[in-house]
Amino acid sequence: MNRHFWIPLACAVLCVLLTVPWWVVRAAGGGGGFDGVVNSIESRYHQHAMRIPFMGLASVVAGAATHGGVGGVHVAEFEHFSAPVDGEELNRMVEEKLGQGWERMIRETSRHGGEQTLIFSHPEGKRMGLFIVDLDGAELNVVQVSVDADRLNETILKYKHHDGDNESDGKGTSD
Amino acid sequence: MKHRFAAIILGAAALVVPALAQPSPFPLPSPVEKELAARAANVTEVTLGKGMLDFAAKFMDNNDKDQVAVKQLIEGLDGIYVRDYEFDKEGQYSMDQLEQLRQAFGAPEWTPMVHVRESKGGESTDVMMKMVNGEPHGIFVLDAEAKELTIVLILGPIRMDQLSELKGLSGLSKLGDIENDKHPKDKTDDKAKKEGTQ
Repeated sequence: MNRHFWIPLACAVLCVLLTVPWWVVRAAGGGGGFDGVVNSIESRYHQHAMRIPFMGLASVVAGAATHGGVGGVHVAEFEHFSAPVDGEELNRMVEEKLGQGWERMIRETSRHGGEQTLIFSHPEGKRMGLFIVDLDGAELNVVQVSVDADRLNETILKYKHHDGDNESDGKGTSD
Repeated sequence: MKHRFAAIILGAAALVVPALAQPSPFPLPSPVEKELAARAANVTEVTLGKGMLDFAAKFMDNNDKDQVAVKQLIEGLDGIYVRDYEFDKEGQYSMDQLEQLRQAFGAPEWTPMVHVRESKGGESTDVMMKMVNGEPHGIFVLDAEAKELTIVLILGPIRMDQLSELKGLSGLSKLGDIENDKHPKDKTDDKAKKEGTQ
């Protein structure tokens, strides 16, 4: 009796203990980093973000395709974003959630139009973390990506030269 | 043992605190910046520190002559800072605020290069150069129009012949004309006089 009663109860309590703090933090727009920023925007402007499905897989594929040039891709999209946005408040919120180490690189804000752009950077050794919040009309996108400039540039140049070869081949055949 | 532990803590703090307390390299008075941003209808701020410039330089194509020139220029720089404020109506910034911005570059190493005033519309352009051992190590441009205020600050060794290469970057179009204005000059009512003669 005791065993049948206490084990399920202990499991239920454990589940509650594990999930409640997560919900409390989420409801308060708490936490930091990408999720912290997205949750804060959701709770402040009462909008729901669409997270791109299989983004983790896409990030791994992007990393493999660029030989590690691009990684840690996170994307959230707010469609039909109708809430009025105060640029100063949005900037403060994003800065607060990103925390120390992130420096704002670009800020474009218009008081009348629904256009806000914030780009933050964060040096990560050889890599550079970039965090972008872009509101254009009724669409707000939040993107985080980690870039290894050397590896990405190698990949870009590889494709550039490949395209160049194709173009020169094309010219050769047309002449 | 306690003393040793305290010494380690103090030593670590001595290393960390100055790093945290380092002032922002962008030397504009923060209250003025905030006031201008609060009044402006559109604000553009670009802050590219040395780390970001080095990062950007890696994407320049070494086979492209123009990109190589830009790469050489930005690799040596310490920072590029742009502030552009567009206002709905005239009179949204004061002469006092402009003076405060100019005074931020009142140190002896900053030499006024261009100083143009137009009394009619109240427009003005200031270009100041930071000289270190006779070499340019920084440039400050303050362009005030009736409804727009643009501030450009570039820190680090600058090759004037390559400066115009940067004009394609966001907010740096004002730099295209600076190369033609290398020699110090002080003009007042220049535009107004030109209009009067026409």
